[in-house]
Amino acid sequence: MSERTGRSRVTRWGVPIAAVAVVAAAVGAGPVIAAVQGEPTLPTRTAQQLLADAARAGQSGGVKPMSGTVIQTASLGLPGLPDISGAGGSSPAALLAGSHELKVWYGGADRLRLALPGRMSETDLIVNGDQVWLWQSETNEATRIKGVDRGTESKHASALPSATTPQQAAQEVLSRAATDTVVSVSNTERVADRPAYQLVLAPKDSASLVKEVRLALDGETFVPLRVQVYAKSAAEPAFEVGFTSITFTPPAAENFTFTPPAGAKVTERNADEPGEQDQARQERQRKLEGDLKVVGQGWTSVAVLPFSVKDLGANAAQKADGEGEDATAVATALLGSAKQVSGPWGSGRVIQTKLLSALLTDDGRLLVGAVTPEKLQEAAARG
Amino acid sequence: MSPAEKISPNHTITATRPSVTDQVDAVENDTSSLDTSTTEVRSSGSGAVNAVGFTKRHNFLFSEVSLTFRRPRNLAMLGVLVLVPVLLGVALRTFGGPEASDGAPGIFTQITGNGLFLTFAALSILVQLLLPVSVAVVAGDSIAGEAGIGTLRYLLSVPVGRTRLLLVKYANAVVFCLVAVTAVALSSLLTGLLLFPAGPITLLSGGTIPMAEGLLRIGLVVLYVTAGMAALAAISLALSTLTEVAIGAIATTVVLVIVAQVLGAVPQLAGLRPYLLSSWWNDFDGVLRDPVATEVMGQGLLVFAAYTVIFGSIAWARFNGKDISG
Repeated sequence: MSERTGRSRVTRWGVPIAAVAVVAAAVGAGPVIAAVQGEPTLPTRTAQQLLADAARAGQSGGVKPMSGTVIQTASLGLPGLPDISGAGGSSPAALLAGSHELKVWYGGADRLRLALPGRMSETDLIVNGDQVWLWQSETNEATRIKGVDRGTESKHASALPSATTPQQAAQEVLSRAATDTVVSVSNTERVADRPAYQLVLAPKDSASLVKEVRLALDGETFVPLRVQVYAKSAAEPAFEVGFTSITFTPPAAENFTFTPPAGAKVTERNADEPGEQDQARQERQRKLEGDLKVVGQGWTSVAVLPFSVKDLGANAAQKADGEGEDATAVATALLGSAKQVSGPWGSGRVIQTKLLSALLTDDGRLLVGAVTPEKLQEAAARG
Repeated sequence: MSPAEKISPNHTITATRPSVTDQVDAVENDTSSLDTSTTEVRSSGSGAVNAVGFTKRHNFLFSEVSLTFRRPRNLAMLGVLVLVPVLLGVALRTFGGPEASDGAPGIFTQITGNGLFLTFAALSILVQLLLPVSVAVVAGDSIAGEAGIGTLRYLLSVPVGRTRLLLVKYANAVVFCLVAVTAVALSSLLTGLLLFPAGPITLLSGGTIPMAEGLLRIGLVVLYVTAGMAALAAISLALSTLTEVAIGAIATTVVLVIVAQVLGAVPQLAGLRPYLLSSWWNDFDGVLRDPVATEVMGQGLLVFAAYTVIFGSIAWARFNGKDISG
């Protein structure tokens, strides 16, 4: 090959290389721009000041109207889950793995819309004053929920299988902060392209599987923007829910109006008098609560409840709906990966994921906690 | 890029060798009656004469496209594509829509209520494999097929720059994408309107839009899916410049599509999903949301553009340095 053709070949292949470089630059532009902008610096605040400010912001006039996109990512390290992360994406079990998107429109205390897009499907929860609608395109069903108190956001959201807004998750985390936690605050975070404070809660007890819980609050409005749960075994968060984009402008009014489309199955449901299915579910829950015992406290508390594999099978047979199937599939997959253990307390099988351990004893107890399996065995001996 | 490969704004060949071009043009004008017969000769495999035929101004792309749509193989693929919505519609009409409790995607239950939904259902099925395969056949064949039967040498023996030849080949593939997607949409529309009632469309978000706007949104879907298929055509074209065996380029494209879809289905590799071409094809359902999911679909179009630019430039670099021995 002559020198000339050699050079022209270099120039020629330079074009695709340049194309790749341009695309890579465009993909990586976000982080680079953020790095160039430098870390945002907000006035320093202690954890206490921050929480007080957040509480005050929450009390005075509530959260500002806003809209945005929430992404929930779970990498709990569940062993070999069967095909439940399929395209639908709105099955509760599907939320155990992968990442899921939730659209939020918030127009004030009594106006809220949550949309969970799936492939060729969507689940919507629309709250407009005393009008509360749950729309499921997959089944073409519109459910009007009556008798919902204003402002009980958590109640609304529980109707959507995966609807965990950062607000709810934040409350959950804050209620756990106690004497057994190391709390620190940083003021240089950037979430959803907004400067944010980050509250880091790390458990002191070494038996906990949780390394730390991080809560990001918007620097200006103190709206919780992101919650991350880090496991000790991984550098990436095991669970994360947070805004990827947020704008504090009042969303269009159309978002909060809903008329059931023609041909849809319309049902009415009273929030206080749930349907048959829910009643059965609540009964189970009540029964469960009666049997539930908690050993230990704080981060390393372990829940003990009576349980056997047979029950699980019977339960699944009872409910032939998709949810039951999913639950059974998950349970079977989990049991398949269980390790046999034994100790002075008896013997059983242990399942460990990044954040949770579960011990199923042969004498019919189930112990669950965000702790190491050793701690569970300790609890089994005590309980 | 040598001057001979530059394309002037009105898409004629830059006259670097004016005497030759003029001669060819002159010959053409005299023998324009020969034009059709020569193209047909090439389509049947031996292309010795056609070199003159297509240099006629503006006609290069046209002759390529008409070649593509005259090949029985391509017509058969289009026929299959068109048949799928018809079969789907007839099956739903005969046996009734699935019950919601069957676990069938809700979109199928909606077809029986509104024929327009057949378009979305058919496209969401076909975009998985059948559309990509037919696009791969046309784009993968474009260079390798000509190289394989020896006609590429004749194509290049006239003063048509390689860049222009490649652009025409790609444009031809894109035209095929558009025709294939439009054919599917039209056949679904026709079947849907004939077999099922039609009316205002219920969006996935629960809102309702008038039928005219529904048709407009179907148009948007066609354009979006075409863009997605055009990106695949760029990959296929790049593969086509690497080999002289057309079936190799076609098969590799299909395998890549399947691999991408498998990777996209593995939950542990969820982080990979936004970078895969195939995971964006289905996002045309964004037009059925309220408000329209412009953000997601815009990202999809950017991904398509990125794939097109990268693989288009690879095809260009490879094709310009390719040793064509015939």
